[in-house]
Amino acid sequence: MKIFKVLIIIFLLLCFNNLSANENSERNEITKNLRCLVCQGQSVYDSDSDFANSMKILVDKKLSEGLSDKEIYNLFKEKYGYWILYDPGLNKNTYLLWLLPILIFLIGGAIIVKSFILKK
Amino acid sequence: MIYSVVGHYSLILGFCIGLILIFLSIKNFKNSNQLDTKILSFSFLQLFFVLISFLALIISFVISDFSNETVFNNSHTTKPLFYKISGTWGNHEGSLLLWLLVLTLFIFIFLLRTKNQPTKYKILTLGFQQVIIVGFFLFLIQTSNPFNYLFPVPDEGLGLNPILQDPALAIHPPILYLGYVGSSIIFSSALAATTLKMVSSSWAIHIKKWVLVSWIFLTLGILLGSIWAYYELGWGGFWFWDPVENVSLMPWLALTTLLHCILVLERKEILTSWVIVLSIATFTLSMCGTFLVRSGILNSVHTFANDPERGLFILIFLFALIFLSLFIFFFFHQNNKNNLSNFFWLSKETSILVNNWFMMYFLSVVLIGTVYPIFLDVLSSQKISVGPPFYHKLIAPFLIPFLFAMAIGPRLKWIRSDLKDKIYLISLLIISILISFFIVKNFNINTLINTILISSALYLFFITLRDFFNKKYKNFAQNTAHFGFSLLILSILFNNLFSSEIITNLKVGETYNNSKTKIVFESINQKKDKNYKSIIANFNITSSEGINNNLSPELRIYNQPNITTSEADIKTTLMEDKFIVINLVQNQDYFNVRYQVKPFMLWIWLSVIMISLGGLVSFLQKRI
Repeated sequence: MKIFKVLIIIFLLLCFNNLSANENSERNEITKNLRCLVCQGQSVYDSDSDFANSMKILVDKKLSEGLSDKEIYNLFKEKYGYWILYDPGLNKNTYLLWLLPILIFLIGGAIIVKSFILKK
Repeated sequence: MIYSVVGHYSLILGFCIGLILIFLSIKNFKNSNQLDTKILSFSFLQLFFVLISFLALIISFVISDFSNETVFNNSHTTKPLFYKISGTWGNHEGSLLLWLLVLTLFIFIFLLRTKNQPTKYKILTLGFQQVIIVGFFLFLIQTSNPFNYLFPVPDEGLGLNPILQDPALAIHPPILYLGYVGSSIIFSSALAATTLKMVSSSWAIHIKKWVLVSWIFLTLGILLGSIWAYYELGWGGFWFWDPVENVSLMPWLALTTLLHCILVLERKEILTSWVIVLSIATFTLSMCGTFLVRSGILNSVHTFANDPERGLFILIFLFALIFLSLFIFFFFHQNNKNNLSNFFWLSKETSILVNNWFMMYFLSVVLIGTVYPIFLDVLSSQKISVGPPFYHKLIAPFLIPFLFAMAIGPRLKWIRSDLKDKIYLISLLIISILISFFIVKNFNINTLINTILISSALYLFFITLRDFFNKKYKNFAQNTAHFGFSLLILSILFNNLFSSEIITNLKVGETYNNSKTKIVFESINQKKDKNYKSIIANFNITSSEGINNNLSPELRIYNQPNITTSEADIKTTLMEDKFIVINLVQNQDYFNVRYQVKPFMLWIWLSVIMISLGGLVSFLQKRI
């Protein structure tokens, strides 16, 4: 059994030697979170439409001007509205969106504990 | 022309038989304890007529009979035969006919194969199923008749959307529908069992087979859709939390919960109400999915048919079904009297409850994430997008305890348990943490959550792997599925963390070079096929280890409809996929080249296959 385990570990380590870490550029991270407005459910990063390509160039430009990702998101938000952001963020429109699942989780847990574990 | 007529009339006949069957089942339910043989023959006749009508539509597609509106809208004479046939269900009308075919097929098999169950139960299940079937017949004939006649007959059709002309997508809808529609049997049978107050362990054993069948097909159906998205949509992703993907995931989550919950019912005859609620929810979610996709409310890649009238019909139908099931649930359902047993905190049933708890949470995340934007838009006309970041943030942290529970849970005994082999469990935990720490450290991914996620997935991986070699451990089906799941999570994580990509613009003959990769754009060829012209680009790619690959992505310009698609070229190996796709840059000689190296891609598909294999083993297993 022990030998077996060691073998797995060696195998895994060997696997990872081939892999290279990713140098994901900041631009990709940002464009992944922007909706391509002319496409059907694709992000700017995924799309190759003219709109998406010009957005990519715009993001590059803003990055080179030294804007942070937050500032860039805000810029797009002001121009196109929340629709363009894939990360809905926490604001007065989305409190329910974020909290409802958590609430359901808590209530579910409470029900389970109350009716099955603590029941006399 | 003649085929459309045949098809249309068989549909109407099928509808009439549905009405007769409802009448017969009411009569038979009241009078006798013997299953009326007429029911079986009528049920077969219904299946036969739907089949005729489906075949008629296929033939209309094959011979390109453009007097048929559906064929005109979705076919073209130059399309290859294979896609003419698959075009039959590549559209709204045809896919609904397929849905109906599966509905009638399943109820017929149900009647044939169900033994050792009371006759009244069989009749009642048939009755409920016929209500669904008749509803769908009405929907089909009223709002989306596949046999509408066109005059004057056009010479040429409009063609099938090229991105649907793909082998994976040709079989994706039938497989997915087998899963979706399979849940209708669970729905009808749960309602029948509630009405007759026979929700018991013998019912659980009987319905478990049906749950497994639809679960396996649903899993495979989702997998096929995902594979298709990976190579056809041209962005190298396999899951985008697109509303339509979510809509297929929701019944899957409900079905998986049901699958686990039924084990408790089978063993201890408790949780009866919960099983019924889940059975109802699964089918309702499938129906909701149909409604959301077909009504055009959602903004998605998949929305190919939207018509408010259809949406309204499904909505009304859906509410009628929900109302019916709620009525039956509240008036007939009796909670089990032996529901007194207290759960010990460490036992198999508690671990299954934990599974249900988390699965319901995941389901609520997906459900709320999908429908919240719609409601917000209606109520306050604010448009927001809920995309991958939302789901990742809410699901990833919860996966950690879920994975641990998946590793420990199956090892527990019923009623009251103690953890055996503690040393083993702890040592494996330490090993998993060490390995993941090593991985994270070595590759500069400084996210705490990734470390813990990798450790928990590795933990499940090791424990299930060890159990394959453990002779004392009997539950092979469960272990296979859980092992597959650990593999899936690991592959997705590593795929996310270690993917790399290059995006650049190149002309023929140019070379892109960076420290790790050299891409040479060697040449382009042109090819002409029956219904498209294609530009094939040849690339030679050398990686830093000196491995040389030739990849040839394609641009296809379809004749009808005139759409350009880019076909990725993918070199799959055990460890990684090399993925390249090109696009035209407007008015220039340059091509936009996107080259990605995606590790463990193959393992994502394999692990899902393994998960469904677990289901298959369980399906074939005789109960011990």
